Amino acid sequence: MSATPTPQIAITGLGCVTALGADATSTWEALHAGRSARGPLTAIVVDGCRVTEGAEASLPSWPSWPEKRLRRLSRSTRLALPAVRQALSEARLLDANDRCLLPRLEMSVSTTACGMEKGEEFLRALWSKTRTGQSARVAQYQSQAQTGAIHDLFGFDGPVMTVANACAGGGNAIGHAADLIRSGMTDIVLTGGYEALSELVFTGFDGLQSLAPEACRPFDRGRRGLLLGEGAAFLVLENADRARARGANILGYLAGYGQTTDTHHLTQPAPDGAPLERAMRRALEQGRISASDVGYVNAHGTGTPFNDGAEAQAFHRVFGAGQTKLSSTKAALGHTLGAAGAIEAVLCLLALKSGQLPPQINLLDPEPLVAKALVGHGEKADLSAAMSVNLGFGGSNAAVLFTRA
Amino acid sequence: MNLSLLSSGGVTSAGLGPDAITAPWPVTATHSHGGVPVQAGLIEQKDPSLLRWQKEPRLRRASPITYFMIEAVEQALQGAPHLDRGRTGVVASFFLGCLVYSVRFYRQITEEGRRFASPVLFPETVFNSPLSHVVATLGLGGPVYSQIGDKTCWASALRTAQCWLANGDCDHVIVLAAEEFDPHEVDALHSGGLLRGGLQPCEGAIALLLGPSANGPAIGAIADGYDFRTRREGLEAAERCLAEFAPHTPLLDTATAWTRTSAATIGRSIIGPKAVPTEGFTLSAAADTMRALDIVASGQSPEVIVPVWGLTRHVAAYRVTA
Repeated sequence: MSATPTPQIAITGLGCVTALGADATSTWEALHAGRSARGPLTAIVVDGCRVTEGAEASLPSWPSWPEKRLRRLSRSTRLALPAVRQALSEARLLDANDRCLLPRLEMSVSTTACGMEKGEEFLRALWSKTRTGQSARVAQYQSQAQTGAIHDLFGFDGPVMTVANACAGGGNAIGHAADLIRSGMTDIVLTGGYEALSELVFTGFDGLQSLAPEACRPFDRGRRGLLLGEGAAFLVLENADRARARGANILGYLAGYGQTTDTHHLTQPAPDGAPLERAMRRALEQGRISASDVGYVNAHGTGTPFNDGAEAQAFHRVFGAGQTKLSSTKAALGHTLGAAGAIEAVLCLLALKSGQLPPQINLLDPEPLVAKALVGHGEKADLSAAMSVNLGFGGSNAAVLFTRA
Repeated sequence: MNLSLLSSGGVTSAGLGPDAITAPWPVTATHSHGGVPVQAGLIEQKDPSLLRWQKEPRLRRASPITYFMIEAVEQALQGAPHLDRGRTGVVASFFLGCLVYSVRFYRQITEEGRRFASPVLFPETVFNSPLSHVVATLGLGGPVYSQIGDKTCWASALRTAQCWLANGDCDHVIVLAAEEFDPHEVDALHSGGLLRGGLQPCEGAIALLLGPSANGPAIGAIADGYDFRTRREGLEAAERCLAEFAPHTPLLDTATAWTRTSAATIGRSIIGPKAVPTEGFTLSAAADTMRALDIVASGQSPEVIVPVWGLTRHVAAYRVTA
C-alpha cells in the first residue's frame, strides 16, 4: 500500500469520433437533438445477416496525410487518430505542427477487434491464393499497429497498455490510467478506446441474435437487442498538481474506479447484477462519494434483455429510485464495444460541465425499476458527480466515477 | 514495487509443469508454407491433465488456449495452497489470442454464409474469454485484465502487476502468457518476414504467481514502450531502452528471428545463451523471466537485464536481481 497521499486525477483533454459526429461537440449536439445513427451499413458487407443496419461513422479526413497512406491504415486507426488529436490539443500538448510536446507519453487503451478488417482481408487473400499486399495486412491488424500509428503521427512513444476486456475495456483502460497515476508510476496518461465495425464481429452478434431488428430501446420492456456501432474516444488524465502547475484547463476529475468479474456466464451477466453493483460501490468508495451525490449514470444499456435487466437491478440497489438520473447513449451512438467506455466517459464529463443530461431515446415502455430515473428530453441537473458503467463478454465490469472541475 | 516469484505453472511442448517452462521446447510438428517446411512446438492436447478441464461445464466449448491457460494457472495455485484466491488478480498477455476459433469462425462466415456461422463459437473468439473461464473456474477474485500487443505486452503485464500491488488492489497477481498455434500463423509470420532464420513457432501457457518482494530474487524496474518501425530503428530503440539500466549489468540472451542480429551489435555482455530458435511470443518472454530468476538465484550473476524484443513495434527491458 502506498504511504504517500493519493494524488487527485484531473482530466485535461478529451476528444471523440462517433457515428453522430466527428468530434465531441457535434456528437453532444446530435445526442441532445434526439438523433440515432442507425442506418444501412456501407463499411462492411452484411448480406445474409438477420439485421443489416448499424451505427457507422464517417471517416474523418486528415489533410496532412496523403490518401494513399491513410488507405493503408485500418479503419479503427482512422477513427482513433482524430480523437487523439482532439484530446491532445485540448490538453495543450500539441505544437503548431500537431506534434506532441512530450517525447514520451504513456498510453492505456482498449479495443476488442483491433484492425479486424485487415485480418479478414489477410485470410480472404490467403484462401483465394492472392499474395500481394499480405505483409501490410498482417502489420495493420494487430493492436500495436493502431497505437503505433498514434505514436508515429504525433511524434511520441512510451509504455502502451492495451486492454482487451471486451465491452468493459474502455472503462478498464481509463481506470488503469488512473491507477498508474495513483501508484506514482507516471503522472500523465493518454487513455481511451477505439473500435471499427467489422464483418466478423457484426456477424457474430447477428448469429447470437443480439442485434435489434428495429430501433434499439435500452431499458424498455420491449427491448430486442443492441445497435452495433463504431467510434473512438481519448482523454488525457493527469496528476492534478502537475496539471495546475502547467496551467492546463481542468475539465473534471476522475474520483473512483471499480472493476469486478462476473463469473455467472460467458455472455450473460448475473441476473441480479450483483457483480456490477460491487464495481459501482468500489468506485464510490474509492472516490469517497455517496451514491446520493451522483447525479447521472451513463449506463451500459445495450438494449438486450439480459444486460438491461441486470443493470437495472444493480442501479436500483445502489442509487434507489429517482434521485440519480440514468440513460444509455447506445440507442443513439450504437454499441462501440472497446470504445464504449471511453466515449461514455467523455459524455459524462460533458454532462458535468454543461448540466445537460443525454436523453434516453426510443423509450416506449420503461423498465419499472428505473422508470423514474431515465432521462427525458431537455433534462438538466446541477451535477457534482457522474458515473460511467460498462459490462462485457467474459463478465468484465467497470465503473468510473467523475466529479466536476 | 519489486515482484517476487511464489510459484509457477507451465504448459509447453516440453510437457506440463513448472519444469517445462525453461526446458528446451522441442518441435513436435511440421507445417508447410509455400512448400517450405516450418517446424512448430505444439502441445499434446490429448494429455489427461488438459482433457480433465473439458469436464468443467463452462469449458466444454472453450478454445485450446483456454485449456493451456487454466492448467498453467492451476499448477501455479497448487504451488501456493494457502493463497487467498479472492485477493489474487490475474493479467494475461497475448500476441495472437484466440487464433484457432477466430479463423474457424471467419471461415464459416465466408464458406457457409453469414447466417450459418456458429453462434457458440463467436464468444470464444473474444480476447478475454479464455481468462474469464479461468477466473470463473478457479475462483479468483482480484482484478482481471487481458492485455494484447507485440511480445512486449508481457513486460506491460508485469507492470500492471506492479501497479495493482502498489495500490493494494490485491495481495498477489498471476501474470500469464498464452499463445495457441494455427497453421495460418505460418503464413502471417512469413508475410511479416519473421520466419527467416528458422524461427520455430510454439504454443502453450506460462503462469507466474507474483507477490510483493520481501527478499530474494525479484523483478524490479521495467523500461517499457520504446518504439521502432524498421529493423534499423529497432536497434536504436533497444539502445534507448537499455540506457535506462547500468551499463555493466549483463543482458539475458532473449533475441530471436531478426532481432538476433541487432542484439549481437549491442556492446554489452550476454548471459544465458538461447539454445534453440523457438518463438512462443509472450510465452517466450515469460520463459525468459524464469531463466533470469534462475540465473540470479544460482549466483551466476547478482543482476541481469532482460530485454524483450517485441518483433514488430516495441522494445522493453527489466531488471532481475538476486
